[in-house]
Amino acid sequence: MDYFAFFAMPRKLTIDPAALEGQFHMLSWKLHPDNFVRASEFERNLSLERSSELNDAYRTLRDPLTRVEYLLEFLKVRKEGTTKQQAPSELLEEVFELNESLDELRDARAAGGDVAALRGRLDAAAQNFQAKLTEVDAELGSLGTQWDAAFDSGADDAKRSALLARMSEVLNRRSYIRNLVDGVQKEIAAA
Amino acid sequence: MGRVVGIDLGTTYSLIAYMDEQSGAPRTISGPYGSSLCPSVVSVDAKGRVIVGEDARNRLLTEPERTIYSVKRLMGRGVVDIQDELKIFPFRIDAKSDNVIRVVLGDKSFTAPEISAYILRELKSWAEAYFKEPVDRAVITVPAYFNDAQRQATKDAGRLAGLEVLRLVNEPTAAALAYGLHKQKRGHVAVYDFGGGTFDISILKLISTTEGDIYQVLATNGDTHLGGDDIDNALMDLTRNEIKAKYGVELDHRGEDVQTLRKSLIRAKHELSTAEKTLVEYPLGAKGMYSREITRTEFEKLIAPIVARTMAPAKMALTDAKLTPKQIDEAVLVGGSTRIPLVRKTVGDFFERVPHSELDPDEVVALGAAVQADILESGVKTMLLLDVTPLSLGIETMGGVIAKIIPRNSTIPASAQEMFTTGVDNQTAIDVHVLQGERELAKDCRSLARFQLKTPPGPAGLARIEVKFLIDANGILQVAAKDLRTNDQHTVEVQPSYGLSDTEIERMLEESIDFAEQDFAARQTIEARTEAESILAATDKALKNAGANVVAVDERETIEKSETELRTAMAGNDYKLMREKIDALNAATEHLAEVLMNGALQTALKGKSLDEF
Repeated sequence: MDYFAFFAMPRKLTIDPAALEGQFHMLSWKLHPDNFVRASEFERNLSLERSSELNDAYRTLRDPLTRVEYLLEFLKVRKEGTTKQQAPSELLEEVFELNESLDELRDARAAGGDVAALRGRLDAAAQNFQAKLTEVDAELGSLGTQWDAAFDSGADDAKRSALLARMSEVLNRRSYIRNLVDGVQKEIAAA
Repeated sequence: MGRVVGIDLGTTYSLIAYMDEQSGAPRTISGPYGSSLCPSVVSVDAKGRVIVGEDARNRLLTEPERTIYSVKRLMGRGVVDIQDELKIFPFRIDAKSDNVIRVVLGDKSFTAPEISAYILRELKSWAEAYFKEPVDRAVITVPAYFNDAQRQATKDAGRLAGLEVLRLVNEPTAAALAYGLHKQKRGHVAVYDFGGGTFDISILKLISTTEGDIYQVLATNGDTHLGGDDIDNALMDLTRNEIKAKYGVELDHRGEDVQTLRKSLIRAKHELSTAEKTLVEYPLGAKGMYSREITRTEFEKLIAPIVARTMAPAKMALTDAKLTPKQIDEAVLVGGSTRIPLVRKTVGDFFERVPHSELDPDEVVALGAAVQADILESGVKTMLLLDVTPLSLGIETMGGVIAKIIPRNSTIPASAQEMFTTGVDNQTAIDVHVLQGERELAKDCRSLARFQLKTPPGPAGLARIEVKFLIDANGILQVAAKDLRTNDQHTVEVQPSYGLSDTEIERMLEESIDFAEQDFAARQTIEARTEAESILAATDKALKNAGANVVAVDERETIEKSETELRTAMAGNDYKLMREKIDALNAATEHLAEVLMNGALQTALKGKSLDEF
């Protein structure tokens, strides 16, 4: 199912939210099951199927992050839900430090020790990674712009593939950092 | 065909409404006592007769062991879920209850959908007396935060009451619809619905398009066990404790005495919405009279924690809608509990504006349901509701962890596809467990259903079964599975974790007195004829609108022949023959329906060439 085609939009990553919403509303008028309550079972099922696809497509394309994930999945660059759990090399040192602090926090908590100081350190680390998340998002945005430019200029397959591969890589990094931040926040909340 | 109505099946009161064609406005229908509020109370007398509404409410005082109120709290729930409630509510649970709770009323026991069906039938009879015509289709409202099982139980109740449930509509959404009609509002609307037993908050966006108004729900949240009942219980705790301390009298929470006290406390609660103080009196026989003044200040202090519990869902819904309180253009109050000044103040403070309450907070949900019923029935589309699923849908994966497949606040219908395969050689069945909720572990979420996917023996990982999970426009889950290797459509036997199976409902329908009295064949004939009428009308319309390029001459002939045959069958009384001809017509129009549906999509996309992409 090509979500971009559903909305009569090119496979580009910059989407005007108002235009997308407008299309969504127009298609909803036509496909929503409310229009088919007294229709035959066949039509009711068809409407249910098409309108759920419409809603799935809108939900996916509306959010810039799920949009790029979808594009990569659709073009078979990555499989849904697959993320490398290995730390990106440039983050290795910081991740190592973070894990140490987390261990200390757990130990201190188990032993009933002072967690306040450790908590401060973890807060700082979480903020640090949060900042990296912003960087990654900016990078993803820039790659998106490049993708759209390549699309418009009709760039060759090699160039497109290279861009897609980089986006996939950045997404992996993003997902890794995201999990890290979530994990730290959970530990802080528990402490 | 009979009339179509909108029904608010509430915890404390239920109402029925219809669209008045002359005024173009929805109206509620009153019962024999002149009120549109039907107390959601059901009682069974010694002869086994069922009494509903005001008369049943009076029997709470005389025959509490044969009478039940707030049955909505039991809808779609299992015995383990309600242990806390049993301490407060006088529900008499049948020890034989399994995955469906059975409540004992006198010497029989009933499931919650059956009891709710009695309430629906009572309302249906009010409407039939008013119209002097049968009523057979309805839109029924449910709390927005109801899960799949609770929705299914409501739909089952409709079916048991002899109603075709055209749609389950979320209560706050229905209220927004009634208000929208009333005020022509635009922008972001927050609906704060604090009823007798449930609390909902919904954030909507109202949009004008060239085709009509769209009511799009952006986010919803709530608590299906928070309402006026809890306020009553807080007052009960206060007074019962005082009576015990002062007079040494302990009131059994299941007895009739406590119902008398409860009744006077509810009156006191109502009075405190306008008065600054009220007096509660309760006779204790030889021990004298318990007499107690309650001031509004004291009352507000008592209920503050309950009212505060509505704020977390309200904040969550706003966050999910990606809005701040300032961005809300209108706040609307729904539900009897919003008459309490503290509730109004809390909502006003939070949204930084005076909330609307022009429409009767008790009636507005039923009025909205009538509007939606009319929209669905008349085919005149000037309004469209786009609602959401309140809870994330997930499947259990290894280690009891949930994998979310449809996030909460997704517009419905919504779907997700998942691929399943075998983990070990020669495995022939794959277990799937579907849940609803926001927590990470399966044990903390609501189990909806379990089913097994069958596959022929083979090496591990060879099986490829695609399961499609679809949440329909009622917020109810449907599951379909397909074996991608053989392209076979699997039938999935979904065993609901808490609820009635189709077979059980069929049996209940057969056993129910109403239908036993009627001639089964006659009912079948009427139903088949109704269905035939609507299919014929739809087909005629489709043929009229379809040009020669859409439907070939021979296809048109086949369809018209099927139509004629169905019309001939309708002239007789053989419902089996009618069914046969209905199926034949359906089959004959499949291609046409598909073409028209795709045509709608094509028209929508017209002006843009697909080659561009």
